[in-house]
Amino acid sequence: MTDETHVPTTSRRGLLDLLLRLGVVAWLGSVLYPVISYLRPLPRQGPTGPVGLTRAEVAKVEREKFAIVPVGSKRVLVLEDAEGTIHALDARCTHEGCTVRFLPGEDLISCACHNAQFDLGGRVLSGPPPRPLPRYVAQRQDDGGIVVSVTPA
Amino acid sequence: MSESGASSRVMRWLDERYGTSQLADFLRSKEVPIGVHAIYWYYLGGATLFFFVLQILSGMLLLMYYQPGEATSYESIRYITTKVPFGWLIRSIHCWSAHFMIVSLVVHMFSTLMLKAYRPPRELTWVTGYLLFALSLGFGFSGYLLPWNELAFFATAVGTDSVKSVPLVGDWLLNVLRGGPEVTINTLYRFFALHVSILPILTVGLIASHLVFVQRQGMAAPVGEKKAPRGMKFFPNFAMRDLLLWLICLMAIIVLSLLFPYGAGIPGVEWELGTKADPLAPAYPGIKPEWYFLWVYQLLKEFPPHLFGFEGPEVCLLVIAVLLATWALIPWLDRKARRNEPSPGFSDFGVGAIFFLLFLTLKAWDIGGGDGELPDDAAVARTCAWIMVGLAAAVTALRAFLFEHRFFVYSGAALLQAVLNGLFGLSYLLAGGIAGGLAAAVTIAILVGERRGAPSPGETP
Amino acid sequence: MKPLLLALLFLSAATIAVAAPDPGAEEAFAPSDALRELLEAEGDEGGPMIGPEERAYFDALPSRAKELFETAIEDELMTEGEHLQVILALGLRAPALELLMQDSCIVCHTDPWQDSEVLFSPDPAASDSPAHLDLREFTNDVHFRRGLSCAGCHDGDPLDTVMTDPVYESMPPAPERHEDRRWVPEFCARCHADPAIMRRFDPDMATDQYAKFRESQHGRVLLVEGDSKAAECVSCHGVHGIRTSRSPRSLVHPKNVPDTCGGCHADAEYMAGYVGRDGEPLPTHQLEEYRSSVHGRALLEGGDTGAPACNDCHGNHAALPPDVTSVAQVCRNCHAGNGELFDGSNHKDAFDRNGWPECGKCHENHAVAETDDSMLSDAADSLCVDCHERFAEDNEECAETPRYFHATITSLAHETDELEEQITHLAERGLDVDALASTVDQGRDVLRRARSRIHAFDRGEFVPLETEGREVIQAGWSLVDEAEAEYRFRRNGLLASLAIMALLAVGLWLKIREVDARE
Repeated sequence: MTDETHVPTTSRRGLLDLLLRLGVVAWLGSVLYPVISYLRPLPRQGPTGPVGLTRAEVAKVEREKFAIVPVGSKRVLVLEDAEGTIHALDARCTHEGCTVRFLPGEDLISCACHNAQFDLGGRVLSGPPPRPLPRYVAQRQDDGGIVVSVTPA
Repeated sequence: MSESGASSRVMRWLDERYGTSQLADFLRSKEVPIGVHAIYWYYLGGATLFFFVLQILSGMLLLMYYQPGEATSYESIRYITTKVPFGWLIRSIHCWSAHFMIVSLVVHMFSTLMLKAYRPPRELTWVTGYLLFALSLGFGFSGYLLPWNELAFFATAVGTDSVKSVPLVGDWLLNVLRGGPEVTINTLYRFFALHVSILPILTVGLIASHLVFVQRQGMAAPVGEKKAPRGMKFFPNFAMRDLLLWLICLMAIIVLSLLFPYGAGIPGVEWELGTKADPLAPAYPGIKPEWYFLWVYQLLKEFPPHLFGFEGPEVCLLVIAVLLATWALIPWLDRKARRNEPSPGFSDFGVGAIFFLLFLTLKAWDIGGGDGELPDDAAVARTCAWIMVGLAAAVTALRAFLFEHRFFVYSGAALLQAVLNGLFGLSYLLAGGIAGGLAAAVTIAILVGERRGAPSPGETP
Repeated sequence: MKPLLLALLFLSAATIAVAAPDPGAEEAFAPSDALRELLEAEGDEGGPMIGPEERAYFDALPSRAKELFETAIEDELMTEGEHLQVILALGLRAPALELLMQDSCIVCHTDPWQDSEVLFSPDPAASDSPAHLDLREFTNDVHFRRGLSCAGCHDGDPLDTVMTDPVYESMPPAPERHEDRRWVPEFCARCHADPAIMRRFDPDMATDQYAKFRESQHGRVLLVEGDSKAAECVSCHGVHGIRTSRSPRSLVHPKNVPDTCGGCHADAEYMAGYVGRDGEPLPTHQLEEYRSSVHGRALLEGGDTGAPACNDCHGNHAALPPDVTSVAQVCRNCHAGNGELFDGSNHKDAFDRNGWPECGKCHENHAVAETDDSMLSDAADSLCVDCHERFAEDNEECAETPRYFHATITSLAHETDELEEQITHLAERGLDVDALASTVDQGRDVLRRARSRIHAFDRGEFVPLETEGREVIQAGWSLVDEAEAEYRFRRNGLLASLAIMALLAVGLWLKIREVDARE
């Protein structure tokens, strides 16, 4: 058996063995790289929420009292009411699917398409929508961040 | 394999404590018989094992992120495939490897059938293998539900429905399997337990016994070889060839995972996530179970609601039970192989089984059924029968000229059933009755003839 | 001794428990001979007239209800099995049946041998009675259900078994009252215009319908011009089968309103001779136009009761041909945003000065169609160009602005569509399209707002939306680029792995040959 420390330069066998070893190491690397990337946890969210809002989104909520945030494939309306409580509702109007907005002055959610109005609990106050807006869970974090989870509130 | 100083030191360390040099000697002595065509078949067991290991590894990784639950099953898989780095790859590998494993297992099973590897002293190897086959189907069925999407939900509902026709314990079985009368999230919890815990433990145990049997007894030589076949050393020669094959299989799987991340696009071989399961929604038109269950699904459709005073599905399950029992008992039924004589009857039986399953599977895919709302069953039967005719002609020619087979009774019967059903419009059961009856008659004639000492037809001199 | 005593005690308790009558159980009802005769009366085909189902229904009725049948027979109001069968066949719940049978008016007028002119029957067509004397409809009537039966309108005493003077004097005599309908509104108003009365039944119900009606076109035509072809209360609400507007079978339920109005207004023959304020004959194609409109389809096909029916724009009882400004106010109830924009725009004064309907000029009144970007286009038939050429030919801005609107919107729409196509394309290849789908949603939202912003008719107001739209599109394309880059990363990673594995495979194969050769 060839001793690794003396690789005879003319020995193809030794060269072959070396190449095989390198090949195996390279292959292991090409397998471990995806596996390790896979195992590293992602920063922003768990598999099913909660989703942390980006700083820009949090700033928007502070300035304008609401922001429309994409969570998975849904649009979520995150708003801050007069008392400072954070609410999260589905932003898709149940009438024809337009994106709703929050009117801070009146503590109302309204849809511009056909002048629908909802209260902060998502219930229809006036207009054509047939169903209330689904409500989701939202929480303010200690560091000022906001976290939303698309599970029924 | 060359040993460096380091590895031989490790071997010595182990040998001092566990006497591993004996094991090493034993392993070095193992041989794989080299017949004329046979060598390639011996790779299949190893390939199946490789795919299973791939399933375990990719499964463990998926388990890190998968969360069973009404609000989390679908969502967590969506998360894995869209957000987790390489999650798409792991999931895709898991799905492709599952299908490859089943294919490999089935081909392995048929090759051991053809080579009569089940003959004594290897009966239990066949039995453990048979059980492994059943467990693999269980893996496939239980795993399919876990994404909790529309496709899986209805496939499971249709699939579990058939167990209620088991006599006496049917309803109990249905409730236990489904965790209730209907498919609900409780079904998923049970299937999850099966898929990641119960089945793996049983499978690993059975694989261990299967391998121990093979290692203890050595590889079976093809039956009827006159002289002791040449052998190739298992370590390192055959083992390295095994590794090479596994490497090529891995390459194939990752290519497929990139190019076809959601499957081949054929019903029963696709796993696009689609929409989440909604128990209140009406069933999916064209819902089909996975491809390896299509034959059962189609066979159940062929039975009328009532037959001979019994419920159709009950009779169907009985027929399937008889077929499966026969398959399990082959090592004991095949007396020729027990005497280490060529057994063309059972080889042909194997081919006949393939034709039988294939015809049903093709029909289940509604090939040739047209574009209407509901497929035209007669047209489907016709098209599939023609496909079978073509295929059977090719296979028979191959067998006759390449392998010099002469016994075609069972494969002929299976083909006859397809032709009677598809080209002559007879009902599947009637066609089966006629073909089966003829085959039975011929079998009895042969057995009687054997008793009287005449040589059986199809025996090669 | 003790066991015997206990046994006796037990036995007596058991007997009492079994034999004692239930508290509250009624005494068994025994039909009188007369009633039994009617129950067992033979029908035309030889079998009993009262079928087994109807008999079972009768038997299940409480005694109170059965007593009422006895009373009717005693009063000689019910003398034939056929009559009993008609009542039983209605299948009313006991309280409603009792209400019915307590009123001798109904009992008498439902007798199949009654004069067909005044016969209340379950199938007026079959019994040759007037259509408004439908017994089945009457059992659903809201007045009947609230206990306001015949006497409530026709006067008299429900206990009287003969017609009395007050009944004949309650309303103008037939057949005149069927021809000259001027008495109807005031008649209904006796109750419906009196808050003190209506409060007893529905405190929230309006009581100004009569006042409004008098001011309406229908009211003027009927009461001032004396033309009885005009609609009055009964024309829309019915008379004996009135249901609240919330019931889907009411003639004045939103989904049925177009047909109710259309009964006259879509009938060219009926409306012949009536002219509008402009002297032109009144059109009769509004119903057809409405049915094909967005509102019509939403209400009639989609069941969306948020969509307006005739009464929402024209008024119910105060129906008048709407002023051009008043209909626009109605549009503003739902389309508030566009209304506000319009009010602040240069078009408002222009339209009002010319007496043009604010919304209707571009969107039609009845045939409100799905809006299309081509309404803004440069083509000769576009709405903007059509008017501007005639009324603003010298104004460069008027020509330029619609072109700008059209170009911008179609460009944004086109880009958004392309992005949406990308979603399928990327998803098939296993890439994550959530962010892109969200961006496309945003894009559609911007388009919606942009199309709405048009109503300000001002380029300056529109530009911010164009900017926003372009940003969204930009963001979308970046996401597409990112996804493509990810795909390329995957593909290159795959090729690299394959290369490594291929080399390893070759090495392994060479090794195999070497090992084989060693043997």
